Amino acid sequence: MTLNKVVAVALTFALGGCVTASVENDREETTGLLEGESVVVMAKSYHQGNETEADYIRCVERALSRGSSSLNVIPNQEFVDNLFPWFEPRTAPADTKGLVTLMERPGVPAAVKRMGVRYIIWLDGGTERVTQGGSLSCAAGPGGGGCFGFAWWQDDADYEASIWDLSDSESAGTVTADYSGTSFLPALVVPIPLIARTQSKACNGLAKQLRSFISSTEAV
Amino acid sequence: MAGCASNVTVETPTIPAPHIDKLPLDVAIRIPDEFHNFVHEENVLGRETWSINLGSANATFFEQLFGYMFDSVIILGPDDDALAYTFDALIEPKIEGFEFSVPNQSKTDAFAVWIRYRMQIFDSVGNSAASWTVSAYGKSQKEGLGGKKSLQRAAVLAMRDAAALILLQMNKATKIAALADGPINLSHFETSAMVRDESNEVASPVGLFAIGGIDNDAQ
Repeated sequence: MTLNKVVAVALTFALGGCVTASVENDREETTGLLEGESVVVMAKSYHQGNETEADYIRCVERALSRGSSSLNVIPNQEFVDNLFPWFEPRTAPADTKGLVTLMERPGVPAAVKRMGVRYIIWLDGGTERVTQGGSLSCAAGPGGGGCFGFAWWQDDADYEASIWDLSDSESAGTVTADYSGTSFLPALVVPIPLIARTQSKACNGLAKQLRSFISSTEAV
Repeated sequence: MAGCASNVTVETPTIPAPHIDKLPLDVAIRIPDEFHNFVHEENVLGRETWSINLGSANATFFEQLFGYMFDSVIILGPDDDALAYTFDALIEPKIEGFEFSVPNQSKTDAFAVWIRYRMQIFDSVGNSAASWTVSAYGKSQKEGLGGKKSLQRAAVLAMRDAAALILLQMNKATKIAALADGPINLSHFETSAMVRDESNEVASPVGLFAIGGIDNDAQ
């Protein structure tokens, strides 16, 4: 690999766009996780207009289950299948009042206990491109090719996690993550992408706050 | 010039064992031919042609689902004589509509599938007891380049949506459990409801249509 290529690759990974972040939580009750207890991450129903991406759910699941203060995470599909048909998009409880009714149904508390699920984390929100601009053109000929110009775009990732405690069918609180990232693509013969990994950062930021929120025994 | 064509084959979805009580009913299900080889083709915006092959997914789906719902289930073919069997109720499901949308159409990142099933229910002597339309919906965000897996997933989610709706609402909508007490008493219905249409078929005394959520007292 030539020196130029090495520099280009290094720049791509070393430089990123700028991301601004705001993560907040609102606690409603004391939390804590005993040994053997787990959490499950669910997307709020698309029947209610939610657009949370499946890969974001997987990212939060992975992020919660790794690191020194990792949580035991039950895979979303396993939970939904074990409680069929009560957590399908059409039937899942929309609020804790519905959760109370659900937990009184025959077989449901036993299935939840068998899996050791203590908290359901409901994710709502999504990542969208809010603005973009600039121009970039590329050309190629017999003697070679290249690009010239400058393009940029801004992605906003706004997610809210509602935490339900299944031990008392109450809401434990919410954690919100608002990330905004601007990516740049300058090109002077070779394009140099400066990508803001907005969704990925929102995933890690939310997961970190969720780990802290659930593990903490802080009183309300 | 030819447009792009995408063929999607949907594997039979597995319906998990539901947390509901079985209805104490012996039922027969007449599986129509189309449930063994259902293919839906659609030309999207005159550019892309999508073909969804559900194969025998619907046949397996309903056999599994009713197996979980009722005490016993007899599977009948399209030409089987139902009167040669003993049962409390005969269910004839059919696909009344199948639609989907791809991101190009909806201007979102999602594939969506709508399936509309009609459930005709007859008592043990062949009287029409109920007719119920089940409208199911599945949606899956686009993943990967082609989106085939997302469309497959949306179709499976739509079938699971139908399963949830049927499990929780069928008895409420059709009163099928009452057929355990014997055939319906046609004298209970108004004479005007029993008029024959032009094809000389007995009009359904009960016609029901349901879309929407699940009531808390669904059980």
